[in-house]
Amino acid sequence: MSQPVTPRRTTRSSASASPSPAPASPTSPPKSRPKPSPRRQLLAAAAAPPKEDGSSADALLAELPGRRAQAMDILRLLAPAPALPLMLHGGAATGKTRALLLALRYLRPSQRLVYAALRSLPSPRALFASLLSQLSATPFSTSSRHRVPDKPSDFVAALRDALNGIVSQGEVVYLVFDNLEVVRSWDKGGQLLPLLLRLHDLLQLPQVVLVYVSSATPDAYYSMTGSVEPNYVYFPDYTVDEVRDILMHDHPNPKLYSSFLSVALKPLFRVTRRVDELSAVLEPLFRRYCEPLGDLKAVPDEGMKRRLFEHVQSHLAVALNETFNVPMRASMDEIKDGGSAGKGSAKRQFAGKDGLSSELEFHMSVSAKYLLLSAFLASRNPATLDAALFDSTGGLDNRKRKRKSSQASMHMKDTIVEEMLMKGPGTFPLERLLAIFQCITSVSEDILDEIDCPGNMASESGTTGLMSDVLLQLSTLCNSNFLSKSRSCPLEGSARYRSNIDEDLALKVARSVNFPLSKYMYRR
Amino acid sequence: MAAAAAAAAASVASQAQAVLRGRLCDQAVVHSALRSSPDTNYSKLKYLVASSVSEACNNSVLLLGPRGCGKAAVVDMVLDDLKKDHPDAISVIRLNGMLHSDDNCATKEIARQLCLEHQLSFSKMASSDDNTEFMIDMLRECGLAHKTIIFVLEEFDLFAQGKQRLLYSLLDAMQSLTSQAVVIGVSCRLDADQLLEKRVRSRFSHRKLLFVPSSVDSLQRLMEHLLALPEDSPLPTNFRVVSYMDIDSGLLSMQSFMNALSSMQRQPKMDGLQDLSILELYILVCMNRLEDKEKSSYNFITIMKEYKSVQDAYKTSDKYSHTVCFRAFEHLLDRELISFADNKGRNQALEYRPVKLLISSRELAESLKLNTTCPAVLQKLLDRERYM
Repeated sequence: MSQPVTPRRTTRSSASASPSPAPASPTSPPKSRPKPSPRRQLLAAAAAPPKEDGSSADALLAELPGRRAQAMDILRLLAPAPALPLMLHGGAATGKTRALLLALRYLRPSQRLVYAALRSLPSPRALFASLLSQLSATPFSTSSRHRVPDKPSDFVAALRDALNGIVSQGEVVYLVFDNLEVVRSWDKGGQLLPLLLRLHDLLQLPQVVLVYVSSATPDAYYSMTGSVEPNYVYFPDYTVDEVRDILMHDHPNPKLYSSFLSVALKPLFRVTRRVDELSAVLEPLFRRYCEPLGDLKAVPDEGMKRRLFEHVQSHLAVALNETFNVPMRASMDEIKDGGSAGKGSAKRQFAGKDGLSSELEFHMSVSAKYLLLSAFLASRNPATLDAALFDSTGGLDNRKRKRKSSQASMHMKDTIVEEMLMKGPGTFPLERLLAIFQCITSVSEDILDEIDCPGNMASESGTTGLMSDVLLQLSTLCNSNFLSKSRSCPLEGSARYRSNIDEDLALKVARSVNFPLSKYMYRR
Repeated sequence: MAAAAAAAAASVASQAQAVLRGRLCDQAVVHSALRSSPDTNYSKLKYLVASSVSEACNNSVLLLGPRGCGKAAVVDMVLDDLKKDHPDAISVIRLNGMLHSDDNCATKEIARQLCLEHQLSFSKMASSDDNTEFMIDMLRECGLAHKTIIFVLEEFDLFAQGKQRLLYSLLDAMQSLTSQAVVIGVSCRLDADQLLEKRVRSRFSHRKLLFVPSSVDSLQRLMEHLLALPEDSPLPTNFRVVSYMDIDSGLLSMQSFMNALSSMQRQPKMDGLQDLSILELYILVCMNRLEDKEKSSYNFITIMKEYKSVQDAYKTSDKYSHTVCFRAFEHLLDRELISFADNKGRNQALEYRPVKLLISSRELAESLKLNTTCPAVLQKLLDRERYM
């Protein structure tokens, strides 16, 4: 318990936050250190003394396109030292943290920055440790004699002591709490949150400026007894023009790129307004756009523009219906580093609908695929229909009995459909899964035999050998999250399973083993 | 010449701004105007505490009122005055309900502060019982030495959670004749005294001082007091206005007040609605339609069904695939414009968990009206169902 928790990230940022140019901590091996993210570089930059030339307000505003009003607000509210608490709020990817850190860099002389990203500090204890270690003059290592306080009272006392030492030297301290919204879901978040928000009252130190950054709106923090509200600065999402400015920023061929953006940005903007997602989608699209061009430095004329537009139009339609997955920063860098690899991945991304099935090659054994399909069927079909669907004759054409569709029965059917939609995939016991598995493998036994290993030991030795194998594969599927295992039912005592895959994926898997899945699916 | 004069004016202005900012950030200065006028809570509290110090008796009082009415500032001012009047006769112990609501922690803190006041060495290892005993002994000793201990309990309502052992032992110790102590509770819950247990309540003197938000007149006086500069310099609220002060002219113009007002009167939900993409708006409108159809609960799959039917009916260009819509749905969840209806079924896939809107249809309609890029179809979809 007495072992202080100091996450690696905090020790590093504390090393960079100390005003003297501290040497890189020798304890952390340089090889295992991940690539610094832009945010962390910014953090280091915010802590470092400003460069002589680039610290004018205009330079600051130039670095924050579309955020002029917000940056001015921040500067005004923070600027001469005594300041009331400040809260920046706005959606994801609107430049809250960036604007704040750049503004703090601009205000740099005679201030000290303590930055806590609450998302990376999983508990109050880690938060306290991080704050105190950033404040203490000597970065405290895990083996130091300092005891990390875990009670709020001890923490506030320790924090006040540490801050008093700095403030008495005439320095201003900026305490920044980033990602404040995650505290709400913490274990004791309900107690910690008022503490953080009322820190200004508790500390009573005018030279300590508190800044909160949150993607949740201020009304998420109202509590029963209230607290004195901080000053809010709202960061709205970027407009189309601002997004264009941001994307055009420092582009090698602005003419070409702007003609591309005039085609591609508007439709994508209807789907999402987040800059990070947009830039992730636009990058491969632009590469596609440039393909007909031999020379990337070329300035396009009208005819060329039209040709390029016709070329990119089909790809644009595909891109619109693809998920915007924002790649990790590191992997994005890799794509940029290796040009050929980047092109390969871009090609794969735009292989189109028909290409998807070829892309979808999981290395999965045939019986695992069958198991997956039977789990899918067991989840989607009502259990009462199993007998009809998997008759010993293997056919399902004997469903001739059709009830009269009276008004009442139609209505009942509607509500059942509704219920199915609400409940989602159902759960099933292991026995049902195995029964379905046996049925569908026996139906397509000929296919299985073809593919089976030449020894054909398993099928000869009967079902017992197959079963043990199946159980193993079942646990593999559960581990890879294709199936989920729910808690065991208190009455029956056995665990129940549920399939997590959607219909598209199931159909693709079925196609890969030539299994007529749609024949077995209960249509409502 | 003119430039030099302008620079001088700017420096004077920034000095003035610094003075004003410092003043507005300091609680004590903000409420010190109360000191001068009679018949305020300040004078009442001062009379109460001063009389119990001079007459050597026990007393307890609650200061109740919403936040920002100057409760803590009044306590501070009274204590400052008393320290000046009776420098040796009082010692102050401060506790905060947010930090010390735990009984053990509170008694430890009391013992620590008592030790600090009386130059005794404080043992961190002392048990909670030891600390309580020490507190009672100190109360007796101080009573014999005619010294008053003043306990200031901020966030008093939080001390009234749980067993209230601290309050009981404190108020019980004050029942004896030898002790000499004042308990000042500060809370922004007006029903704080109702939270007390019977055994605690019976030992509590039911003195309450109610703080109300200042009237317009007194606010005006307060503003004058705050914004007038000490020397009669050529320069003529709140913090935000001063921050928006125009450094070039050195004046607090009407414009800066207007700016500050507009940035403080924001409606976060409406702002959030303005930030949505068209697809996200479609999903919200579909959810609103489902709610108007009096669906008891619905999830992403049902929303997609509605979305498909809308797209089929109107043949708009905004028909996107399932996964793209799901990403937009996740954005809405992120922005907290919609949320899951219950906490059950955490292991269920997100598509199937029931959701609900966190905005009213009026807000949605207004934001659609304000949104210039919003397609007319959306507006129609929302309006039609209202008049049907």
